Amino acid sequence: MKEGLSLVQKLSGHPDSRCWFVSWSPNGTLLASCGGDKTIRIWGREGESWVCKSVLEDGHQRTVRKVSWSPCGNYLASASFDATTSIWKKKDNQDFESLTVLEGHENEVKCVAWAPSGNLLATCSRDKSVWVWEVDEEDEYECVTVLNSHTQDVKHVVWHPTQELLASASYDNNICLYKEDDDDWECRATLQGHTSTVWGLSFDAAGQRLASCSDDRSVKIWKDYSSGSGAGGDLSWKCVCTLSGFHGRTVYDVAWCRLTGALATACGDDGVRVFKEDETSDPDQPVFSLSAQVTKAHNQDVNCVNWNPKEAGLLASCSDDGEIAIWRFQEED
Amino acid sequence: MAADSTLLLSLVEEYVSGLQDSKAKDTATGIKDGQFTILQLVEALGLSLTSSQPHTRARGVQLLSEVLQECHEGLTEGEVEVLIAFFENRLKDHYVITPPVLQGLRALTKCTVLPPGSAVSMLRSLFQDVHVQSLMLTERSCVYKMLINLMESREAELKGLGADFVFGFLQSMDGERDPRNLLLAFQIANNIIHRGYDLGKFAEELFEVTSCYFPIDFTPPPNDPHGISKEELVQMLRNVLTGTPKFAEFLLPLIIEKLDSDVLSAKLDSLQTLTACVSQYEHKDLAEFLEGLWASLRREVFQTSSEKIESAGLDALTAITSCLSRSVLNSDSEDSLCTFLDLVLRDCKHHLSEPDLKLVWPSAKLLQAACSASNRASHIITAAVMPSLLEQYDNRTQCSHRRTILEVVQRFVQSVKTSQSAEKEESVFVAFRPSLCTMVFSALNENNSSLQKTATSVLTSLAQQPGLLLDSDIELAVDHLTKLLLAEEDEGVSLAVVECAGALAELYPEAFITKLIPRLKMEMFSDPIDQDNNRAVSEHQSHHAVCKRCLSALAAVSTQARIVHESTPVLLEVLSSAHTGSVGFSVDQVVLACRSLQRIAEKVQDTEETGRCFHDLVIPRLLSLSLQAALQGEESSGHRSPLLEESVLSAMVPVISTSCSRLQPALAEQTALKAVSLFLNGDVSSLPNNSFPSHIQLLKQQGDSWSQSQLVCLLMGCVCSLPRSVEVPQVEQLLSELEEMSCTCTHPLSYTSAAKCFAGLINKRPQGEDLDRLIQRTMKRVYTELDSASSSACTQAFTLLVWVAKALLLRYHPLSTTLTDKLFSLLDNADLGPMAAESFSLLMSDTTDLLNRGCHADVRIMYRQRFFSENSAKLVQGFNAAPQEKKTNYLKALSNIVNNLPKQVQISELPRLLSLLLEALSCPDQAVQLSTLSCLEPVLADPLPALIQQLEALINRLIALNSSPAMSVRIASLRCIHAVSHFPEHEILPFRARVLRALARPLDDKKRLVRTEAVRARGEWFLLGSPGGR
Amino acid sequence: MSGGTHLENANPVIFQRTGERLQTATEEDEDFHDPIDDREIFDMIRSINDPEHPLSLEELNVVEQIRVKVNDAESIVGIEFTPTIPHCSMATLIGLSIKVKLLRSLPNRFKIDVHITPGTHASEDAVNKQLADKERVAAALENSSLLEVVNQCLSTKSS
Repeated sequence: MKEGLSLVQKLSGHPDSRCWFVSWSPNGTLLASCGGDKTIRIWGREGESWVCKSVLEDGHQRTVRKVSWSPCGNYLASASFDATTSIWKKKDNQDFESLTVLEGHENEVKCVAWAPSGNLLATCSRDKSVWVWEVDEEDEYECVTVLNSHTQDVKHVVWHPTQELLASASYDNNICLYKEDDDDWECRATLQGHTSTVWGLSFDAAGQRLASCSDDRSVKIWKDYSSGSGAGGDLSWKCVCTLSGFHGRTVYDVAWCRLTGALATACGDDGVRVFKEDETSDPDQPVFSLSAQVTKAHNQDVNCVNWNPKEAGLLASCSDDGEIAIWRFQEED
Repeated sequence: MAADSTLLLSLVEEYVSGLQDSKAKDTATGIKDGQFTILQLVEALGLSLTSSQPHTRARGVQLLSEVLQECHEGLTEGEVEVLIAFFENRLKDHYVITPPVLQGLRALTKCTVLPPGSAVSMLRSLFQDVHVQSLMLTERSCVYKMLINLMESREAELKGLGADFVFGFLQSMDGERDPRNLLLAFQIANNIIHRGYDLGKFAEELFEVTSCYFPIDFTPPPNDPHGISKEELVQMLRNVLTGTPKFAEFLLPLIIEKLDSDVLSAKLDSLQTLTACVSQYEHKDLAEFLEGLWASLRREVFQTSSEKIESAGLDALTAITSCLSRSVLNSDSEDSLCTFLDLVLRDCKHHLSEPDLKLVWPSAKLLQAACSASNRASHIITAAVMPSLLEQYDNRTQCSHRRTILEVVQRFVQSVKTSQSAEKEESVFVAFRPSLCTMVFSALNENNSSLQKTATSVLTSLAQQPGLLLDSDIELAVDHLTKLLLAEEDEGVSLAVVECAGALAELYPEAFITKLIPRLKMEMFSDPIDQDNNRAVSEHQSHHAVCKRCLSALAAVSTQARIVHESTPVLLEVLSSAHTGSVGFSVDQVVLACRSLQRIAEKVQDTEETGRCFHDLVIPRLLSLSLQAALQGEESSGHRSPLLEESVLSAMVPVISTSCSRLQPALAEQTALKAVSLFLNGDVSSLPNNSFPSHIQLLKQQGDSWSQSQLVCLLMGCVCSLPRSVEVPQVEQLLSELEEMSCTCTHPLSYTSAAKCFAGLINKRPQGEDLDRLIQRTMKRVYTELDSASSSACTQAFTLLVWVAKALLLRYHPLSTTLTDKLFSLLDNADLGPMAAESFSLLMSDTTDLLNRGCHADVRIMYRQRFFSENSAKLVQGFNAAPQEKKTNYLKALSNIVNNLPKQVQISELPRLLSLLLEALSCPDQAVQLSTLSCLEPVLADPLPALIQQLEALINRLIALNSSPAMSVRIASLRCIHAVSHFPEHEILPFRARVLRALARPLDDKKRLVRTEAVRARGEWFLLGSPGGR
Repeated sequence: MSGGTHLENANPVIFQRTGERLQTATEEDEDFHDPIDDREIFDMIRSINDPEHPLSLEELNVVEQIRVKVNDAESIVGIEFTPTIPHCSMATLIGLSIKVKLLRSLPNRFKIDVHITPGTHASEDAVNKQLADKERVAAALENSSLLEVVNQCLSTKSS
């Protein structure tokens, strides 16, 4: 079978608006999307096609920038330009109800991410800060720390797949890694290398490596070289690979498939691309090659790519034209 | 009598105790009818007036007052005196009685028999006993109206009160807040000022009490029943404030203060008030405020946020300067004009010469505003700025800078022009004449089109300065213009040069006759196409362009009879050389030559002299040349005369019709006679170069040959534009031959022209049986042709029908209805339906070559409206009844009719037709779509309720037309969508998202013109409902 | 602008407005495909009002046709604009207005880059980076007071 990305379906996700972000539920059956129309939409499969199951309106006053599923799949967190983060709880049917609204950021919340344990939640904002919230059994949320390691707008936060390690990307061109030490969260490493805004981050399945993408039109792969697991010591991550020359404009998102290891990117040149690692290459100098690309995947900028966590090769992307696309990535046998 | 007094008592009783208001009217009627007198009424009221209840007393007085309002006219002086004394006395009574008392007094102020001294006594009581501002609105208004009435009738007595009257009024109006009452109060204040009442020591108080409303800030409530506008209040108050120089010392500082305001309308009002007041002032009133005023004006113009403010500021500066210019100089006083202009120059002059030309325009505008105020001002300013401007022009290297300087100079020259009226003074620019000429001529020679264009405007302005340019300057100017005409390729420059030549020719014909015309002629004829064909194509093309410019320049400079005498022969020579082939003029060039002749005919006013020129020279030559060409025929071997071409003949027709329509009666009659003799009798004696055969019959088609028959269009030009008083000879026979030709001839230009000529003559025939018979006879023939299925002359008959229908419709001829009804019935005809639908456009629109007022046709005003109102119902019925495939014809007819209606009629008729028009938008015929859109677009400017109800359908159809294959339809539909964006926001906001989405597509249209409209429309829809949008 | 407001640059140089684009025969031709060219883009932005002067960006020479580059086939538009003074605090706002005007006026296939003319502004890089960040632009346009100013810049003058 030939390698490639084939379109499964296009969905008119957020008409007359832009679709900023899509995210698969942990069991892979639902897809949440959000956008400039201030709504969140939940999509599910009906027969062969994907349809809108529910629309979460009235939760936010402005653009909903990102959404994040809790690891149990029963909660959804949404970050909005209205400076709030909403927590939604899934009801028995497909519907969601607003549980609580987290306030505290001075202005636009750009990203929200649930930690693998489900007990922690991270948010970041144009106010340059990253907040970590703790969740208790009564669904109460409490801010445990405010991290001010960036000098600019923080664009993205992402948790390590297994550890309580948090990474953030910023308009200041840097990536920061944070860990808890004695009840105190601290920035333990600053990854410098990109020459413009870093828009997206993604850990690989094992958490050994981190992919980042940037306005400088490149993707970088960072590898963990931290000695031992000493709680207090600084972390050491190094850039082992830079993918440049593939992207015509800003790379807005990068996603590492935890089932296949394929690396997908979303780009401002309207393209969706998938890279594969050359398995024979030196782990300290990995080589990634372009495995598939659709140059006109969307009519406008592609904002986000997300791999289905259960169904290998199923990829969702979304764009400024408000559309969501579902792709199937086929590998060579 | 006793019965009457019983009646009166019962009326009083019923009114006062019974509270029956209608009894007042009955009482008044009783007094008017002489049943009882007013004093008997007072007597009968006795009990009520002495009641211990204030409300009963008030009711009593109210009855009296209401009766007085009805019958104050019939009172005697004695009665009035008693009543005044009565009312004055009541003013001291309980406050509830005051309102009816004031009403009574107001009624009495309208009496013509007001006893001497009573006005003064009323006012004294009023001012003394009543605190006006504690009264209710209507009572206050009553007081103001009393004052106004008395000021009209008892001015002398009121003035006798001296300043007490002013004081009393001031106390009455101080604190007034109601806009209706303010209008009355301002009217009183205005009377006080303008009718010479003694202000005494109260000038400042009067100013205070009125100026506290300045600037007026008032927005009428929605659906204001009183119809008072802000503008009305502003104007009334302005009249008061600017009415007397006594206010100058208070008003000017107030204006300076208000100019600091952030409110745009306050600034504007202040500037306009300033302009108004200084026209009343003398220089000494202004003297101490000049610096402050200048500082404010300068700031407003330099930093203005709106063009309105700028122009109001400049007007104010002109007004101030002209006020100062009016001052008579005496040797010991300071010349305030000089002092003021020094200020202006100090702040503005240096901006004219700064290296980057910062602030050059606002400074120039200020200086020019001052310059235009008076001759003295213009001398002072030009002397100060011109040398530096001229010097800079030489020193600057950047074209854009030089052009700016030229433009500034141009504005200076123009600003002076307006101030020099009848005075025969020397131009203020005399001293700068040589340098100005040098500058203009050098700019004309620059290789930069915008510089050249600007230079032509400067040249025009300079030439229009009386007595400025010398003959030698003009000759040089003409040389430059000629050179540019011949050599300049840039179309914009050529146009500017031609325009400039026209303007100069009006003032200095000699130079154009002796230099320009001969040169152009030489140029046009010098260069026939080389027989060897070895000239480069580009050279040929450039010669064509030169010819084109020469032809258009000949028309432009023909501004007066003397020049016309020189230019028309050149143009005629173009035609004859083209005809003979001696010079190779193309058909296009011949058409252009005709156009130039037409422009001359239109432009030159109908003097005897030019009329003769056209009558004696131009028309005979045109006829003669065309006839020569026709006789040679279409198949003559070798050279084919361009004068056979339809386009050339069609261009000749307006030359002939325009000049004939302007002929003096005697010449007109001769023309008619000659033309008819030629066409009817083959009489060629009137034509020059007479070598024609003697048996020509122009109105008979010779076999298939059309070269002679088509000349009938020239006949039409001659006879259809003559004044109605001119008798067309042999008209019966002429009409009959025209009818024959129009029904039988197979050549389209020939039969159409014959039909038009027939119609043009019919339109002017006197009403009566002869005419009716003629029409009926002709129509019988036409109908027969139309009704016989096999007729080969169907189109011809139809053409005649339409033209005759138009001729009759224009003059409201009773038979027009049967003809137009025939046209309506043809809409259902399988073959003629589309033509019939199209014909309504001809019926309703103006035609340029005949049947218009310029051609002296009988055209009734509003014939279109009349036709429309008489026939729209038929059309709607016809549409509803017509089978589906014929409906298009009805829609097309409708859109052709509606499209030609005046906008006012469209708007009033639209609600009835809207559903039909919307239907027409969905009609697949592009012409219908286009004309419906163009008729909708102006109507959309003021959204009607009927339109708003159909918004959904309207928007859907407009959007659908955005993807029409015809770009004109796409453009028109986008313009309509643009217009809809100005509808009330709440009505269209629900459509915003849909429209924006729909408009995204035409942004990528393949035609730029479509994209441009889409960009405009989409921009407006984006602003809708968005902050800062609208 | 109120009389009392202090203008950053009270004395701007005023430049002549370009005339209307002259129509050509091909523009009237139904079948001819008129490419989107520099002048067409320039016509979209030249009449944008300056946020602090009652003048258009063209009259202030903030935008010039030579600093407009479009490639219709590749759907790319690049604009350089020149703030009137090197410390102009309105630079971001002007850039934003240009960007918004083009977003509203161009087919969405276009990628639009708006930059400051190199060397003409003290914070050139910072402004360019902000204008290129579509997330910030989107957020700015959800801010009603900012949107109000931008819309005013884009309104057609009524006087």
